[in-house]
Amino acid sequence: MVCGAVRALVFVVTAAIATSGCAVVKAHQRENLAKRAMTKDRDAGESRFGQHERGSREGADGGTGEPGGGCGCN
Amino acid sequence: MRLQLIAAAAVVTSTAYADGELSMRGVYYKERSTRVIQPMLDGIFDAGPSGTVTGHLLVDAITSASASSGAAAAEPFTENRYEGGLGYTHEFAGPEESILDVFRLGADGKYSREPDYRSFYIGGRAEAELAQKNATVALGVGLSKDTINNEGAQTPMGGPKLLCDNTQAVADQTECPLDTISMFTSASHLLSKDALIGVSYDIAKIDGYTSNPYRTVITTGGPVAEKHPNERLRQAFAISGRYYITDSKTTLIAAYRYYWDSWDIHAHTPEVRAIQEVGSTIEAGVRYRYYKQDAAFFWAKRYPDPATTMIDYLTDDPKMSPFDGHLIEAKLALYGETFGFEGRWAGARFEGILEYIVQNNRFGNAVVAHAALTLPFEY
Repeated sequence: MVCGAVRALVFVVTAAIATSGCAVVKAHQRENLAKRAMTKDRDAGESRFGQHERGSREGADGGTGEPGGGCGCN
Repeated sequence: MRLQLIAAAAVVTSTAYADGELSMRGVYYKERSTRVIQPMLDGIFDAGPSGTVTGHLLVDAITSASASSGAAAAEPFTENRYEGGLGYTHEFAGPEESILDVFRLGADGKYSREPDYRSFYIGGRAEAELAQKNATVALGVGLSKDTINNEGAQTPMGGPKLLCDNTQAVADQTECPLDTISMFTSASHLLSKDALIGVSYDIAKIDGYTSNPYRTVITTGGPVAEKHPNERLRQAFAISGRYYITDSKTTLIAAYRYYWDSWDIHAHTPEVRAIQEVGSTIEAGVRYRYYKQDAAFFWAKRYPDPATTMIDYLTDDPKMSPFDGHLIEAKLALYGETFGFEGRWAGARFEGILEYIVQNNRFGNAVVAHAALTLPFEY
């Protein structure tokens, strides 16, 4: 199980680095990409509450880049 | 265009010198047996030309029919949870003529306390922007040290005794530890001037007391304390994409997440969001999320008498059962300029969110409402 996890980790990082050489969008073409909805459409508080709520109600907590904690509802 | 400038200003807030943003949010949550009111305060401030400090404070005011989070028979309770967090990120410029444009290192911590649960988290994160900022890769690690006790169900005879370690024969503890080590990696890449894609992978290893101190399982031999395994390995892979339609000024977001763990729970979560610019200073959004999971390997509808049958683990947790659910959300955000405000209030963002959750298990359906105000400032 842990070996599988390490393989997945290596795959994601390798794929990211491999594709990072494809510089397809120049800086002056990023007008739309700079919009709030295209960068981060949720505030920190909104994301945090959503994560906490899902951790309380669903068995598949995690996978959000930050572990939970502080909820007596394991 | 005006909205775009305001949004762009919000995006660069974290890198402009001596700028900051303060956000106040109130959340109301209601399900069949639990009500939560959570006021929170979030701040992000520039710290010198290359540093950013973030912080948050919140209170969870919880009123529930049951301290045991969904148990069939339990005593009502009310409690408050307090949480505070602080983070710092430092940005470094990459070497000239290299593929590395920007490199960021960050650390954050948070502490949460309620009468029967304490949690301390500390984490670190590294992020790099590559190839003329066309790609971003990130790697992070975290460590949580939690403590669970039986304060929530005290009687003149004391609270329920806890079995911290399943290898022990007798439950005789009043407090148990729960440790989590986690790691994540993510990557995103621009696909065109209107589209980008991102992937992420998370893993977390949990050691310690993972049961609920108050929850009992009804067996054919009577009620028995819940008993979960002491270890759990959780993993998740997620992919998401964003596309901007210039003609209609609409952003479309699609995401999918697959989760699996060593308790044999597998979950699928597809999600779609659409965000529409309305006029020059208003954004309206809708969201749909589907969730489906199967059961933990030790979950059962009915358990035999543990006194006469060998049973390693028992649970009455609805989160361990197979179920699915739907979430629909409507969101409206207005900038201060909509109301004719000037100065810093012109960039203030007012936000309202309404969610309805359909969940096909004992927790039942839920309603969530947010109201938030984000105010940019200079200092």
